[in-house]
This record gives sequence, structure tokens and C-alpha cells, in this order.
Amino acid sequence: MGAAGAAGLVLQTVALRKHFGGVQAVNGVDLAVPPGDLRAIIGPNGAGKTTFFNLITGDIAHDSGAIYLGGEDVSGLPPHQLSRRGLGRTFQITSIFRRLSVLENVQTALLSHHRRHYNVLASARRLYRDEAMALLERVGLCAQAAKPSGIMSHGDQRRLEMAIALASAPRVLLLDEPTAGMAPRERHELMELVAAIAHATGLTVVFTEHDMDVVFATARRITVLHQGAVLAEGAPAEVRANREVQRVYLGQPAEGGH
Amino acid sequence: MVSVRALLALLVAVAVAPLVLAPFFLQLLTEIAIVGLFATAFNLLMGFGGMLSFGHAAYFALGAYAAALLSRRGGVPMLLALAVAPVVAGLGALLFGFFIVRLTHTYFAMLSLAFGQIVYTVIFKWKSLTGGDDGLLDVWPPPYLKSPMAYYYFVLAVVGLSLWALHAIVDSPFGYALRAVRENPRRARFIGVNVRRHQLLAFVISGAFSGVAGGLFAFYNGSVFPDFAFFTKSFEPLVVALLGGVHSFFGPLAGAFAFKVLEWLISRQWPVYWPLFLGGVVVLVVVVLPQGFVGLLGRWPWARPARQG
Amino acid sequence: MEALTGLFPWITNGPLITVQVMSGLSVGMFLFLVSVGMSLIFGVTRIINLAHGSFYMVGAYLMVTLVELLPEHTGSFWMALLLAPVGVALLGGAIELGLLRLIYHRDPLMQLILTFGLILVIGTLVLLAWGPDNKSVSRPDALAGSVRIFGQPFPSYYLLVLGLAPVVAITMWFIFYRTRWGMLIRAATVDREMLGALGVNVAALYTQVFVFGSWLAGLAGALAAPTVAVALGMDADVLTTAFVVVVIGGLGSFAGTFISALLVGLLQSFGILIFPAVSIVLLFALMAVVLIVRPWGLLGTPEP
Repeated sequence: MGAAGAAGLVLQTVALRKHFGGVQAVNGVDLAVPPGDLRAIIGPNGAGKTTFFNLITGDIAHDSGAIYLGGEDVSGLPPHQLSRRGLGRTFQITSIFRRLSVLENVQTALLSHHRRHYNVLASARRLYRDEAMALLERVGLCAQAAKPSGIMSHGDQRRLEMAIALASAPRVLLLDEPTAGMAPRERHELMELVAAIAHATGLTVVFTEHDMDVVFATARRITVLHQGAVLAEGAPAEVRANREVQRVYLGQPAEGGH
Repeated sequence: MVSVRALLALLVAVAVAPLVLAPFFLQLLTEIAIVGLFATAFNLLMGFGGMLSFGHAAYFALGAYAAALLSRRGGVPMLLALAVAPVVAGLGALLFGFFIVRLTHTYFAMLSLAFGQIVYTVIFKWKSLTGGDDGLLDVWPPPYLKSPMAYYYFVLAVVGLSLWALHAIVDSPFGYALRAVRENPRRARFIGVNVRRHQLLAFVISGAFSGVAGGLFAFYNGSVFPDFAFFTKSFEPLVVALLGGVHSFFGPLAGAFAFKVLEWLISRQWPVYWPLFLGGVVVLVVVVLPQGFVGLLGRWPWARPARQG
Repeated sequence: MEALTGLFPWITNGPLITVQVMSGLSVGMFLFLVSVGMSLIFGVTRIINLAHGSFYMVGAYLMVTLVELLPEHTGSFWMALLLAPVGVALLGGAIELGLLRLIYHRDPLMQLILTFGLILVIGTLVLLAWGPDNKSVSRPDALAGSVRIFGQPFPSYYLLVLGLAPVVAITMWFIFYRTRWGMLIRAATVDREMLGALGVNVAALYTQVFVFGSWLAGLAGALAAPTVAVALGMDADVLTTAFVVVVIGGLGSFAGTFISALLVGLLQSFGILIFPAVSIVLLFALMAVVLIVRPWGLLGTPEP
């Protein structure tokens, strides 16, 4: 593979590998995500999806292979530069600025996105206020804009984190277990919101998720990891019908779909 | 806008104070202003950046010595010497901070202490330049600022401008990003913030304004000593900020007032008990009053959290 | 070589080097006793006890009082040496139970600040109890003189330190690696949450470790009493040095503290010969270098 990734892909990994001691956690994963995709990455526990995710986000350095963002090799870049190149993310454990107000959370992200964050002279209070409110509107948090974000409900904090990530105008948004710790009804609401935003803006979304109902209801395509490698990939219906997938999830050869 | 009115009242009070107060109290107010600036600069790191420096006396001392040396040995006019003080302190903060911000939490505090002690030792041992233990004496302002009242107004003006600048910084986009770094460095990185560089810039700003305080104090005190850089001096802004509350911009200023008045009241009567009292206050604040004493009086204007929303 | 001997005449002086090594080692052994308690407490509770130097000072002052109080007898020094650290251990226990326990769940910076406040409180209480004048303790008769090593005098009392520190080190090693309690301590330095989940009474373990660490500080202070002027301010002196030792060795690392104490002891001993003016700078510079290159110290583990 050359220095540049394939044209026309938003996110691409090529032969990505990572081992911990003797365990090959990620063993040569090729992933190709075209623009506008709504991609779920699933796999049984220990399949390597968390490690794979952390490799893409730069939390863990990979052993070999490459990661391309919009065709550009971004391997080894620190998080703040990945963010500048269009990689947005949310964390498995909700990650917001808890003692800042809801509005300030989004404003700060916008300030940084517009490279104003070294400005020590201007008053930030009114900067990007309308843009921030528009983002809050989109995730349904307008009414809570003035609240300290840390006192909101868990689900609302999840939404806020989404707004923070969107503020950086990412090319691809990575969501790590976005519905973790939420009630089933909330989960579907949140993922419908994600789907609606992706649909409206053409944003590419890649997410991991435990809840298979959510995955199959939301994803456009699904990549199944097993033992650190891609086991299957395709539209939800294809993946559902895949015998290998059924075998690793159900632990036995399946007698057909359900 | 009660708070604006209260601030105006405060301004008027400090402006007319020299007309009604005995010289001693004028000196007390001068010290309060200087310590208040030092603690506010310190709190830019502690309260807004979430970084605990145990070596901030170093930057206070760098400012004080830079001003004193320029004025005593270089014959430089006071105003120019005072202008150089924050530059020297800021450069020191840049040099040490470059390493310090690589570490976090406890290790951050410890490395800052180590560098602080290095500055102290260098000042202490470099007798030919700094006068060592004897310090530098006769560091006085020019005649037109020599009277306590004139110097009081001068300090008031410099401290006022510095506080205004620091407040603007806290309220600026940089200040927002700094608080984001304090709250959640991981998240801050993923909105594109270079966390270390932000911390370093905050460290330099904080060091430079500590240097302003040090320079002002040198000319107020008429002399500088290595003790200015000693680690116990580093705890002064910490105690003052804690006393006033680290989560509000004006907390340290209120803390400086309380600190100096209490020091005067207690040290005069029972000098022995002053450290006991100070230590007791620290323990008490940490265990039962995390918001500082000013936090108790939440309705006072300066207790208003700075842009907490 | 000639230039070197010109600069450092002692370099060709074998006996002087030997004595310097000996004194460096005894300083190092002593530093180990001073700092190992601080390291231990950090390892388990994650608190840097800045009042460690104050505990050491209290140990020294208790030694003064006990030697005075106990009836004139050849054994009174040893009795005092036994009792003084116990007094400090009780003080440490009271502080852990009364104050630190209340803030374990809080920001670690607050714990650091609290123990700083204790420096001031304990310092003043010592001043009130013992007064501002320096005190001294005479060495026991058996160790009052000096022995000759390669013809150079070496105070015999330091032999006590040279002998006692390894005994403490070996005993601690035995406790850590051969007893259940030691196993719990080692487990706590690795993963406290897990220990709690396994049903271990972590709160009690914290108290025990804090008491033990305080006892060690008290022992060091009591041992030091006959070699120094027992004075206010010895808390700050010892705190900074212990701090440097612990940081260089790696916070919470037992072996690291031992090695680092010897290193620092030797550095001080020779540093005074080579760079008399800046031996303290050397110490802090070494600490700064270690913190920059390996923030977790020589044998410590990185901060999670």
C-alpha cells in the first residue's frame, strides 16, 4: 500500500495490527468506510473491537498497518491533530466538561474548531453562541443551555457529548458504545438522533455497540470482528444471515436465521 | 447588577482609604493588593487550570530579584525594572514549565517544588550577584513614589490593571479552553486542544504575573531576600486562594484580605500562634469547607463563581 | 588526570575516599529510614504525606524528653529509642483516623494540601511544647567515641545507623514478601479497588500503613536526635530530602527507596567535596532529571 489511502474513503485501515504480550488483539484488520456510511462494528467480547477503536482514535499505538483519514495517513498523530483532521469521537464513559455550562461545553469546542483557543484578548461569552445554540437545538438540549453540564441526566450528558463532537465539524464521527448505561427506550431515541443527523448532514458515523437491536435498527452496514480479524461485513440483513456470524455469536452452527 | 455596584463601592473605598487610614493600614492594604495579585496569578493555574504548583515562590522571587538587581546594580529606573520583572519571571516559568506540564497531578506539584528549590538555592548561593543570605538592600522607589500613599496608589494601579488582564484571560477563548483542560484533558484533546501547550501558556502567564507581584513587593519592602523563593513562601498563595475559594476569580483577592488582616491581628497578639492558625485554617478548609470561607458567603459579589454558568 | 587531581586533591586520597564512602553510606542508610515510611504511605494510600518531616521532628523531640524523664540508667537511651517512635505512631494513627480518612475520596491535591497544613500545626505545637531553644541528646556511652578507619576517625554512633537500617530494611522486606499483611500492602499498591472488592478492609489497612509509616519517621527522628541539634525547622530540612529520595527511587517502591537513599547519601557526601557550594542544587537537579526522564522514579510504576 502506498503513502495515500484509497480515494473516496473517509476512513480506512489497512492491515492494522496490535498485540499485547502474546495476545494478537487486532490481527490485520482492513476497514473501508465510504462517505455517508453509518457503520457498526460488533463482535463478541474479546473480539478486539475496543482495541481496534482505540487504535483508530490514537489512544493506543498500533504495531503495524496504517490508518487513513480522507486518504491521508494519520498513523501516530496525537489526538488534537486527529481532531483537526476531522476525526470526532465520543467516549464509552461519558466525557464532557462537567463544571462548565452546557452552552460553554459546545462553545469551547467551537472556539477550538475555529482556532480561536489561543486568543487571550477577546471575551468568549458571545463568541459562537448562536452556532452553539443551533447544535444544542439539534440534540434537543436548548432548554438546558445554562445548566452546569455535570448535573444533567446521563442521557442528556450523552447528547451533549454528541454536540461537542459535532462542533468540530468532523468528517467521521466515532461513537464508542454510545448507548452504554441507558434505558432501552433512550437508546433507540439517541441512535435515531444519530441517524437523523448523519442523514441530514452527510456525516459518516462509525460506532461500536452491545445492543444488537440498536445495531440492526441503526446501522447501514455492519463489520463483525472475531479474534482480532474481520469475520464478516455487509448490510444488516446479510450479516444476520451469515452462518459464521451466527456460529461465533451463538457458539454453534445455526440452523438458519430467526 | 448588585455585583457591579459592590465593585464600584470597593473601588471608591480603596481610593479614599489613604485619606482616612493611618500609614500602617495603608501598608497593610498595599500588602493585601500585592499578595492578592500573587494569589490570583497562582489561582489561574490552580482554580482555572487544575494545576497545583508548589514552587510559585520561584516566579515571585525571579520578579523581585530581576527588579531589584536592575534597579540596584544596573541603575535602571524603577518603572523599567518593574516592566522587566514579569518578563524574567515568565521566561523562568517557560523554561521550568516546559518540563513541569509534561507531568500530571502529584508529579506536577513535585517537579514544580523541585524547580522552585533550585531557584531558591541558586539565589542563596550566588552571593556575588544576589548577595546570598544578606539579600539586596536599599531597593527603593524614586522620590515621587516614595511616600506610602504614593506607592499605595501606584500598587493599586498596577495590581488593578493586572487583575483586569487576568480576568480578561479567564474570560477569553483561551480561558474557556483552559477550563476545559482542567475539567477533562482527554475530551479537550478531542476537540483539537493541544493540552500541554495550553497548560504551558497558562503556566507562563501565571509566572509572569507572579513576577509583577514580586517586583512590586521588592520596591515596597525596600529589599529582597532568598526567602522569597523558599518553598514555604510557595504555600502563601495556596493558603490565600484556599481561604478565599479557588473557584471564583475574586476569591483569592478576598482571601488576601482575610489572610493579611488575620495575620496582623494574630501575629500582633500571639505571633507564635500564627502558623498554628494558618495550618488550622488549611486543614479546616480542606476537610469541611472546600469552597473556601468566601464560599460560605455565597451571596457576596466576589464569591460569584467566575463564569460557571 | 593531573588536572583532575589539581581540582580535587582528595581523589588520590584512598582513606579519605573510604571514609567519605562510609559516611555517604551511613547518610544513605539514614535517609532510607527517613523516607521509606513516606514511600510506603504513598504506595498504599496515594497520599504524599508532607507532614512526614514533622513526624520525624516529633520523634526527635520525644527522644529528648524521654531521655530526660527516664531514670538515669545505661538502658534509658535504648528505652527512649524504643518508645519515641511509638509515640509518633500514635500521633500518625490519630491524624489518619481523624482527618485523612475524611478526604480519601476527594481530589488528591486536597490531600496534599491537608498534609501541608499539618506541617504548620505540628510545627507550632512542638514550639509550644518544647520551646524555641535547640535541644540535644547525648549518645549512649558505648557509642560516644569514634573508631578509626584507615586511620581516619569515624563516629561510632554512625555504626549504629549503618547497622540498624539494613535490619529495618530486611525486616520490612520479610514483612512485605513473607506475610499476609505484606501481601495485602503490595496488592494495595497495585490495585486498591480490587482489594476492596475481594473483601479486604481497605480502610483498616490504610490506618495500619499510616501508623507504620509514622513509626518509621519517628524512629528516624529518634535515631537522629543525638547527631544533630534538635531544633524547629528540622521538619522542613528532612522533608525536602526525604521527598527527593522517594521521588528518585519511585513513589511506593521499597527497593527503589533503598537504592535512591544510598545514591543520594553518596551524592551528598561527595557532592560536598566536589561542589561545596551547590550540593543541594545537585540533589534537586537529580530529582528534576529523574522526574523528566522517568516521572515514576527509578523503580516505581507509572501513574495510571
